[in-house]
Amino acid sequence: MVLEKEVLPYLTWLMGGSGTELGTLYRFLIIAAMLAVLALLIGFLTALLRYGPLKAGDLTYRVLVNGFSELAQVSPRRVWALARLAVKESIRRRVVVVLVVFAMILLFASWFLQTGYRDPGKLFFSFVLTATTYLVLFISLLISALSLPQDFKSKTIHTVMTKPVRAGEIVLGRILGFTIVGTVLLAIMAIGSYLFVVRTLYHTHAVEVANLESINDADGNVIGKKGHTTSSQSHRHEIEVDAEGNGVALSANGHDHEITAGQHGGEMAYEVGGPRGLMRARMPHYGKLRFLDRKGVDVARGISVGSEWTYRSFIEGGTSAAAIWTFDGIDDSTLRRADDGDGQYLPLELIVRVFRSYTGNIDRGIQGSVQLRNPDKPDIKTDLETFTAKDDSINDINLSRKLYDPQQKPIDLLEDLVSEDGRLDVIVQCLDRSQYFGFAQADAYLRKPDGSPWVNFVKAFLSIWVQMLLVIAIGVTCSTVVNGPVAVMFTVAFIALGFFKEFFVNVATGKQVGGGPLESLVRLVTQKNQTTGLDEDNLSVQLMHAVDKFFETAMRSLAYVLPDFRSLSTVDYVAYGFNIPPSKVYQDLTVGLAYLAGLLVIGYFLLRTREVAK
Amino acid sequence: MAGDTVIETRALSKIYRDFWGRPKVRALKALDLEIKQGEVFGLLGPNGSGKTTTIKLLLGLLFPTDGQALVFGKDATDVSKNERIGYLPEESYLYRFLNAEETLDFYGRLFDIRHDVLKQRIDDLIKMVGLDRARKRQLKEYSKGMTRRIGLAQALINEPDLILLDEPTSGLDPIGTREMKDMILRLRSEGKTIVMCSHLLADVQDVCDRIAILHQGELKELGRVDTLLTVADVTQIRAKRLNPDCQNEIRQVIERHHGELVSIEHPTTTLEELFLSIVRDSEARPGRRAVAAAEPAAPPS
Ligand SMILES: Nc1ncnc2c1ncn2[C@@H]1O[C@H](COP(=O)(O)OP(=O)(O)OP(=O)(O)O)[C@@H](O)[C@H]1O
Ligand SMILES: [Mg+2]
Repeated sequence: MVLEKEVLPYLTWLMGGSGTELGTLYRFLIIAAMLAVLALLIGFLTALLRYGPLKAGDLTYRVLVNGFSELAQVSPRRVWALARLAVKESIRRRVVVVLVVFAMILLFASWFLQTGYRDPGKLFFSFVLTATTYLVLFISLLISALSLPQDFKSKTIHTVMTKPVRAGEIVLGRILGFTIVGTVLLAIMAIGSYLFVVRTLYHTHAVEVANLESINDADGNVIGKKGHTTSSQSHRHEIEVDAEGNGVALSANGHDHEITAGQHGGEMAYEVGGPRGLMRARMPHYGKLRFLDRKGVDVARGISVGSEWTYRSFIEGGTSAAAIWTFDGIDDSTLRRADDGDGQYLPLELIVRVFRSYTGNIDRGIQGSVQLRNPDKPDIKTDLETFTAKDDSINDINLSRKLYDPQQKPIDLLEDLVSEDGRLDVIVQCLDRSQYFGFAQADAYLRKPDGSPWVNFVKAFLSIWVQMLLVIAIGVTCSTVVNGPVAVMFTVAFIALGFFKEFFVNVATGKQVGGGPLESLVRLVTQKNQTTGLDEDNLSVQLMHAVDKFFETAMRSLAYVLPDFRSLSTVDYVAYGFNIPPSKVYQDLTVGLAYLAGLLVIGYFLLRTREVAK
Repeated sequence: MAGDTVIETRALSKIYRDFWGRPKVRALKALDLEIKQGEVFGLLGPNGSGKTTTIKLLLGLLFPTDGQALVFGKDATDVSKNERIGYLPEESYLYRFLNAEETLDFYGRLFDIRHDVLKQRIDDLIKMVGLDRARKRQLKEYSKGMTRRIGLAQALINEPDLILLDEPTSGLDPIGTREMKDMILRLRSEGKTIVMCSHLLADVQDVCDRIAILHQGELKELGRVDTLLTVADVTQIRAKRLNPDCQNEIRQVIERHHGELVSIEHPTTTLEELFLSIVRDSEARPGRRAVAAAEPAAPPS
C-alpha cells in the first residue's frame, strides 16, 4: 500500500548500481545533452529562415556564447530584487485568499469526514495532505504562469529589460519569489493541517469501573485488572492496568491511550489521556520475497486474482503455497525488549490482502500462519504461529525469542534460526481452504524503532514543496514565450502528463493494449475494441504502425523529460504511518533542483531570444 | 571627453512581421546616425514615422532586421550597456502595485549602487520630480503626469551617461514641461548625452543641439538646430520706444534698399509665458489673485 516501489539508496539512485540500470545523474546528462542539441538545431533553423545561412550561424554562435557568459554573471542582488518584486506582486494580487479556501476545505472536512472511521488518522492525514497539495499546486500554477505575460502585456518588462538585468535573473528571480510565497503558504497550511487533525481526533474515554475484572497470579494476589473503556468517537478500547491502576487502553482505531491512577474526591479514579500514536513513522526493515506454489515448488510470483491486483500476487489457503521473506542483518539489536522487561521478541509486522473466493463466515477472520526457519538449515524451523488476518491493515506478529520447534523442543531465535551471516526466513501461509492471501515484497517487515512523526510530517511537506517548486519553475519557463492562458495550459498539460506518466510511458513503449496514438484513434473511430486484431498485411495498417512508431519515439523521449508527480508524493507514507526514507527526500530534492537548473537554462534562452517590444 | 561617439547606427532597418513571419510594416529604412557624447539629439517626425522604433532598437528591445546599432561601442542587444543608460518610455510602463519609493528602490537595486547612496538618491529624485507628497501612494492612483514624473525619476536612478527620452513632455503640465527642459539642459551641462523624440517642435527647438527628421521610416533631415532654423534672407527688426516718425523713416530706409517689409509689430508675449507667470505668481503669493488687466508679463529671465 505504501511502498509499491523500492526506494534505492541515494548514491545508487544517483550514480547507478551494480545492475544494468543507469544512474539518474547520467540519465539527466544524456537528456540535457540531447535537449541542447535539439534546441540548437531549432534555433539555427529559425534563424536560417529569417536571415539566411551566414547571419544565422553568427547569431546562433553569439547567442550561445553570450548565453553562457550571462548565465555565469547572474547577480544575487538583482535576483533578490526581482524576487522581492514577485513576492510583492503575489501579495498585492491577494494570494492569501488561498488560506481562506484552505480554511473552508478544513471546515468541509470536519463536517463530512467521520472520526468514527476504522483508522481515522489515516483518512484525515490523507485528506488534508492531498487537499494541501492540490491547493498549493493550483495557486503556484496561477501566480507563476500569469506573471510574466502580464509584464509583457502592460509593457513593464520594457522598463526592466532596459536595466542591466540578465534574462536568466528575471526567470530565477520570479521562481525564487513565488517559491518564497508558496513556502510561507505551505508552512501555514502545514501547521493548520496538523492542528486540525490532532484537534479533531482528540478525545478521551472513561474507564468502565463496574466491568473491571481482576487478574490474579497463582497465589491469588491481584496483579492487575482488565476491562474496557467507554465509547468515544465510535470506538472503545480494551484496557490493562497494573495493581496500582496504571496501564494502557490497548490500540484501537490506530491509537492507544495512557491510563494513570489518580485521586478524585478522595476516591481512586482512572485518568485516560489523549490519543497516542495517531501519527507514526514506522521504520521497516525489508526482506526479499519469493513464493512457493500450491505443490510447494519455488516460483517467482504467486497467482494472480485479477488485473486490478497486479501489484500483489496471491497464495492459496490450505495448500503448500507460501510466501517466504528472507531478512538479512538480523542480530541482537533487531530484537526488541518487551516493555515489562522480560525477554526479547522479533517485531514482525505483516500487511495482508485477503481475497475470499467464497464469503464464508464474514465475522470470522481468515486464519494464517507464520513460521521462522533457518535459511541455511531448512530443517530447523519453528512450529506454526497462527494469526487472524486483518485485511488491508497492519498485523502485529511479535515472536518471542524463545520458541518451540514442531516437536515442541525449545529453540532460540538468534542461536538456532538465524544463519551464520545473519539471515532469517519468515514463511507465511494461509490456513483456510480456497481463501487467498496477497503479498508484495514490502508487506512484511521487521519494525525498527520509530522515527520522529514530526520529522516525518515535515518531510511530507518537503515533498509537496518540491512539487510546488516544479510547478513554479515550469510555469515561469512556459510564460517566457507564450501569453498567460496558454502558459497555464502548457503547465497543466505538463503536470497532467507527469501525473499519468506511467500510462504515457506504457503507450510509448507499446505496453498499453490498443496500440499507439494513431491506432487508438483508428480504433476509436472505427469502433473496434482495444484487443481486436488488425489485418497486419494491410498497407494502411502498416503505415499506421509506422506513424505510431514515430509518435512513440517522440512520446518516449518526452516521457523521460516529464517529472513524475505521482512518485513525488509522500502523502501515503504519513497517512499509513511509515517513515519517509531520507534517501527518498534527497532524491526528490535532487530531482527538483535538476529540473530547476534545466528549466532555468531553457527559460533564459527563450526570454533572451524573444523580441521584448514586439 | 566630448567628441566620443556614443551611438552609431549603420543602415539600421526594421520590418515588423506578423506571426507567420510575413512583413507587415517597414518601420525604419537604413538609418545612419552618429551621436557624440554631450549632445542633445532630437528625433522628429509625424506619428508613426519610426521614432519609437529607433529608440527601441537602440535599447535592444527590438532586434534589427538589417544593419547594426552600436551603443557605447557595444551591440545594442548587449545587456551590460544598460548600466549607463536611462530610458523613459513613451508611456510609463511601471508596476502599478508599487508606490513611488518602492518603484525607485526596485529599479535602483538592479544596478550596482550602495544602499545608502541609493536611499539618498531616491529621496532626491522624488523631490526633484515633485512627488514628495505622493511618495507612499501606489502608482495605480497616479495621474498621467505624475506617472510620467516617476517614470523620469526611474530613468535617472543610475545617473546614466546616455538618456533616451520618448516624448518626455507628453502628459506634463506647463511647469512640468519647463522643468523637463531645464533638466535636459542641466544634464547636458553635466556632459550627458540625451536622445529625445517628440513632435512638439517648440520643445525640441529649445533644447536640442541637433535633430533628425524622420518620415515614414526614412531620414529626411539631419543637422544642427541653429543652422536649420536660421533663415538667412529674413531680417527681423524689433525695437523699443520708437515713435511713428522713426517707424516711417525705417520703412523708407528699407524701400530705398529694395527690401520687402514683412512686419513691424509690437511684440506679444507667448501663452506659455503668461501661464507660467500666473502660476509662478500664485505660488509666490498664495490666495486669490487680483487680475492685473493690461500689465504685460515679465519677460523670461
Ligand atoms: N509592434 C509593432 N508591430 C507592428 N507594427 C508596429 C509595431 N510598433 C510600431 N509599428 C509600426 O511601425 C511604424 C513606426 O512606429 P513608431 O512607434 O516607431 O512611430 P513613432 O514615430 O514613435 O510615432 P508616434 O509619434 O505616434 O509615437 C508605425 O507604422 C507603426 O504602426
Ligand atoms: Mg512613438
